[in-house]
Amino acid sequence: MITPNSPLEQFAILPLIPMNIGNLYFSFTNPSLFMLLTLSLVLLLVHFVTKNGGGNSVPNAWQSLVELIYDFVPNLVNEQIGGLSGNVKQKFFPRISVTFTFSLFRNPQGMIPYSFTVTSHFLITLGLSFSIFIGITIVGFQRNGLHFLSLSLPAGVPLPLAPFLVLLELIPHCFRALSSGIRLFANMMAGHSSVKILSGFAWTMLCMNDIFFFIGDPGPLFIVLALTGPELGVAISQAHVSTISICIYLNDATNLHQ
Amino acid sequence: MLEGAKSMGAGAATIASAGAAVGIGNVFSSLIHSVARNPSLAKQSFGYAILGFALTEAIASFAPMMAFLISSVFR
Repeated sequence: MITPNSPLEQFAILPLIPMNIGNLYFSFTNPSLFMLLTLSLVLLLVHFVTKNGGGNSVPNAWQSLVELIYDFVPNLVNEQIGGLSGNVKQKFFPRISVTFTFSLFRNPQGMIPYSFTVTSHFLITLGLSFSIFIGITIVGFQRNGLHFLSLSLPAGVPLPLAPFLVLLELIPHCFRALSSGIRLFANMMAGHSSVKILSGFAWTMLCMNDIFFFIGDPGPLFIVLALTGPELGVAISQAHVSTISICIYLNDATNLHQ
Repeated sequence: MLEGAKSMGAGAATIASAGAAVGIGNVFSSLIHSVARNPSLAKQSFGYAILGFALTEAIASFAPMMAFLISSVFR
């Protein structure tokens, strides 16, 4: 379906170890490989800095990095989710921390040449955001009971307006399940494709065997180099943004328009 | 014919970047306004501005995404 040399070629999913369970396609593909690679690298990093019962009291650079990531998430949770005691907030911390670390390491990992961007696939980010949406709905019903349904109707609305407002509030609420997935996927895909297209320009100009193109070649090349920086920034800031939006949704579900 | 229409569609999809440009400009102009009014909040407002920039930029990347999809996937 995807033609060779198209900028979307890098997103092709190839089965590495073909497997089928009945009719279920269960192959070990390159997304699985890169997910496992990143996961094992992160786990190794965390394991090595917390050796000897919790690392050194004066951290080295690696330990500082892990501590920085670990310290970053509770701040988000404490800032965004209001109206709950600290203990209750800490229940949500592991899930949000895992989501943040997942995005934080998966997104920049795709910037390594010839690697595969796991988060540039809609199915993967949609699975992530949809499972979080279901979890947040469950948390909302758990904490508020049937009062959770009052999320769709702000207090003090005149009764004739209510049907429209319920619709208007329900659509954005359900669209949240899609939107954080689409956001991550669109950023990763558009960024990586534009880097690929611009590096394709540079490579084609180099191979033209023409002195003018050869002299002009550093132009696209430097644009590629300049684009790599914002790409890394986008990768990291998207991890931040998706974590913040999860915290905001969680706040909405637990506090209901307060 | 189809090839030309596809290119036109991909080009038209990038018009949406204008809106994103307005949005990003608005975020940073508001940052400059607020910092000029109250410089002591500069650090905090910069954090919010980066967050707003990332959210706007996320929407902005839908346009190139559609352009790439139109020009590369459909045949």
